[in-house]
Amino acid sequence: MGRAIHDSTTLDVLSQLNKRFGPDEIAEMVALQKEFTIFSAQRKLEDSFALLGIDPCDRSERDRWDRFLYSLKDYKSDIPNMNGYSRVIKAFQDALTVVSHFPPIPKLPVYVDVHAMDEDDRVTVTEGRPLIFSVQPYVILSIPTKPGRVARQQAADAAKKRRAAKTKK
Amino acid sequence: MKLAGEGGSSGIEPDGNALGRVYADVEAYYSARVARYGATPLGVDWSCQATQMLRFVQLLKICDFAAPFTLNDIGCGYGALAAFLAMRYPNSKIDYLGVDLSHAMVSRARRRFSGPDRRFVVRKASPRIADYSLASGIMNVNCGHSRTTWEGYIATILRQMRRTSRRGFSVNFVVDAARRSAEPLPDTLYRTSPQPWIRFCERELGCSVETIDDYGMKEFTLLVKTNQAH
Repeated sequence: MGRAIHDSTTLDVLSQLNKRFGPDEIAEMVALQKEFTIFSAQRKLEDSFALLGIDPCDRSERDRWDRFLYSLKDYKSDIPNMNGYSRVIKAFQDALTVVSHFPPIPKLPVYVDVHAMDEDDRVTVTEGRPLIFSVQPYVILSIPTKPGRVARQQAADAAKKRRAAKTKK
Repeated sequence: MKLAGEGGSSGIEPDGNALGRVYADVEAYYSARVARYGATPLGVDWSCQATQMLRFVQLLKICDFAAPFTLNDIGCGYGALAAFLAMRYPNSKIDYLGVDLSHAMVSRARRRFSGPDRRFVVRKASPRIADYSLASGIMNVNCGHSRTTWEGYIATILRQMRRTSRRGFSVNFVVDAARRSAEPLPDTLYRTSPQPWIRFCERELGCSVETIDDYGMKEFTLLVKTNQAH
């Protein structure tokens, strides 16, 4: 997302995620979690998504997608002392794990979204109605991002500052 | 709901020519899939490895893993079930035979998974009688054939599975519940309710049937017991 993967790949992957974890397929995901514990602290997030066939359609982007997922370890999250990578795993694990309750509580679908990193640099998990055309409630997992061009520009500016500081010394 | 053509004493199997065309189309369809997608779940028309494995879990409920057994995998594709068995039941003694119409599939399966108790053959039906048989997903893509012809093809497969299974067999179908789905399913996908095929297995094949339909997918699995002493 942003600088890590192409914009078209971001849209592609978000679309795949929101289909597989959407209202129509959430029961399947819950069953898969129950049987195989797809999401857990013991399994890499990259492997969980690979098991579910969630990969960029553009094969050349697959390594970058995996690198992006790994880079979530450097992100903060809305849980203190938990990085973004672990937070994503926990969000899916919680969303798909059925807790004994009578009457049974139906699991909410998961909506994966992005938000501006400048506003909040944490991976966040909330509940709400993210789709203005639907009253369906979701668990909303949101990843901080910034446009690729902005991120590149900021990286270039930072490098320029570092070089200038070095020259002054 | 009745099966197309059900009710006559002659059964519902299509004539030899029609059946031959179905076999040829199915073979061509899956050979093309594996040529395009390789030995992957997509190569056999499944969305991902996890859903493929969840289907295996349901189908394998027909088997008693407490003792060694023989197993026919009808429409084995590239041998994903053989790999799953090795992973999930590493200590079970299973004499496995994968059967598929497609040379392309079987050659991939042999390359990847052949072993002393793991063989693969290109056939329309199993050449041997085993304790159990199972078939995952082979009833679903009708390759454009009419409902009548396709149901005849399914009936033929079920009869063959009955003949070559000592203790029981299991199959899965896409459930006919388009209303439950937000997305329309393609016309080439055969959908059905469990009742007609339960009735077929009970009345025509003399078996008892258990249905599993609570595993989160828009499909169901039939566990068919032959009622034979073993």
